[in-house]
Amino acid sequence: MANIIEVKHLSYKYGEEQRPALKDVSFDVHAGEWLAIVGHNGSGKSTLAKSLDGLLPFTEGTITVDGVKLTPETVWDVRSKIGMIFQNPDNQFVGATVEDDVAFGLENRQVPRTTMLPRVKAALAEVGMADFAQREPSSLSGGQKQRVALAGIVAIAPEILILDEATSMLDPQGRSDMLALVRQLRERQHLTVISITHDIDEAAGADRILVIDDGQLIEEAQPATIFARGAGLIEMGLDLPFTAKLKQALQQRGITPPAGYQTTAEMEEWLWQSLSNT
Amino acid sequence: MAISFEHVTYTYQAGTPMAHTAIEDVSFSVPDHGYLAIIGHTGSGKSTLIQQLNALFKPTAGEIHVDDFTVTPSTTNADLKPLRQHVGMVFQFPESQLFEETIRKDIAFGPQNFGMSETDANALADEMLTTVGLDASYAERSPFELSGGQMRRVAIAGVLAMRPQVLVLDEPTAGLDPQGRQAMMALFERLHREQGLTIVLVTHQMEDVAQYAEQVAVMREGKLVKYGQPQEVFADPDWLRANQLDVPRAAQFAQRLAQRGLTWDPLPLTAEQLADQITARWPAKGADHV
Repeated sequence: MANIIEVKHLSYKYGEEQRPALKDVSFDVHAGEWLAIVGHNGSGKSTLAKSLDGLLPFTEGTITVDGVKLTPETVWDVRSKIGMIFQNPDNQFVGATVEDDVAFGLENRQVPRTTMLPRVKAALAEVGMADFAQREPSSLSGGQKQRVALAGIVAIAPEILILDEATSMLDPQGRSDMLALVRQLRERQHLTVISITHDIDEAAGADRILVIDDGQLIEEAQPATIFARGAGLIEMGLDLPFTAKLKQALQQRGITPPAGYQTTAEMEEWLWQSLSNT
Repeated sequence: MAISFEHVTYTYQAGTPMAHTAIEDVSFSVPDHGYLAIIGHTGSGKSTLIQQLNALFKPTAGEIHVDDFTVTPSTTNADLKPLRQHVGMVFQFPESQLFEETIRKDIAFGPQNFGMSETDANALADEMLTTVGLDASYAERSPFELSGGQMRRVAIAGVLAMRPQVLVLDEPTAGLDPQGRQAMMALFERLHREQGLTIVLVTHQMEDVAQYAEQVAVMREGKLVKYGQPQEVFADPDWLRANQLDVPRAAQFAQRLAQRGLTWDPLPLTAEQLADQITARWPAKGADHV
């Protein structure tokens, strides 16, 4: 698979801080994949996301996005390929109405009004918010606000979507709706998704997980490999999957479950076999 | 402190064309030293409900009792001061309410407002700082240099400095990472157990409800639609899903096994409870398996 992003030896330091926020980070993102980046608070994962979008002037290393090397000269070119959604939906609204907000990105790209109007409408329909076009953003729920933010991204059709803890302030329903929507968009628009998250379910849906700790990339693996770490997951800023919690509780009671990571279905099967074969 | 609601109704902008009834005829009671979780879909009236507890909103109809305080539609603000001192409110994202130059001053602000001397308030601030798990070295620092989770602890220390007997928490772990969430919930559990604080928790985290709550209130469209112990409330997962509420993971898992013929008594709500019942029927132990 081709790489849509290549990061090589990236380091970054905030102002006067002694410790670098990122230390010699290198990795690739494959076109079309869903990559989760995890790490506890303060690990540097948000710094990494911001670097990819040219929001932070890193001093060492290189970032190449879709064949374009990120420099002060190419930053706008690179940003046109990336859509970003942040944690707090209230901090990213600019329009007075929902449709104005979705149109903002297109206006910035000098899309003529005649093509802009249908694109805004289509984008809102895509995220299920067509009926809210005239509403004030402040009258929406958190989940609805994030869907509008997503519509803003659908409208500009970037190649890459970065979710920076975009579901962490939503209620469980809002969270699973949002993730389902991103999955749909990804299929339809062949998006590459990078999600920075603490949510175990969000991470479980990824093709690959990168673990960042203390500004360094410490692990790169598939979810099943990462989830087999048990208690170590808490250190990575993730919660334990339910099956790992259950295995821990069973071990404490003298029952030895199979090694490695089990999905819920695998765990169910094992318990059913063990309990019914008597 | 025991709490009871008797037929409480609250209408926003009552008597105007904009009138909107946010909670309607709600009655329930929480025993002294209780731990109540309030759950319900966004917009179901949870936040309006808890704001009745220290009479930020006074009921449009009905009565609220907190220990021997009574709040009715005609209670005046002057009568509310003792109540407000006993009911500590932690709103969503409380760190946004920090404002002082130093953490010590921020925590000491409330007690001083209620007439405590600066020296006493400062000593209390340092004590509260330790209670929320930050050491005294933080006292002189600016609250704005801290991480989000630490800022939230300082805001909670400010509420605890009022020495409340009821602690009302509106989604206190929203936006924290799992480690921060666990530590925060453990802090409330400790305050509940060691200091006998009555806790009222508004949350979307069903795992926390299963693990910590003694009573659960389910709100829907302003009405209290279910009230009882977690076991009773979670006993009917289909009903919960119909109300757009999550079911604890352990209960979901136990139900899948139940569909294959295993029986549970009662339905386990946490991994620990599930493991207990599995262990009891584990074949090698020769226990009473099915």
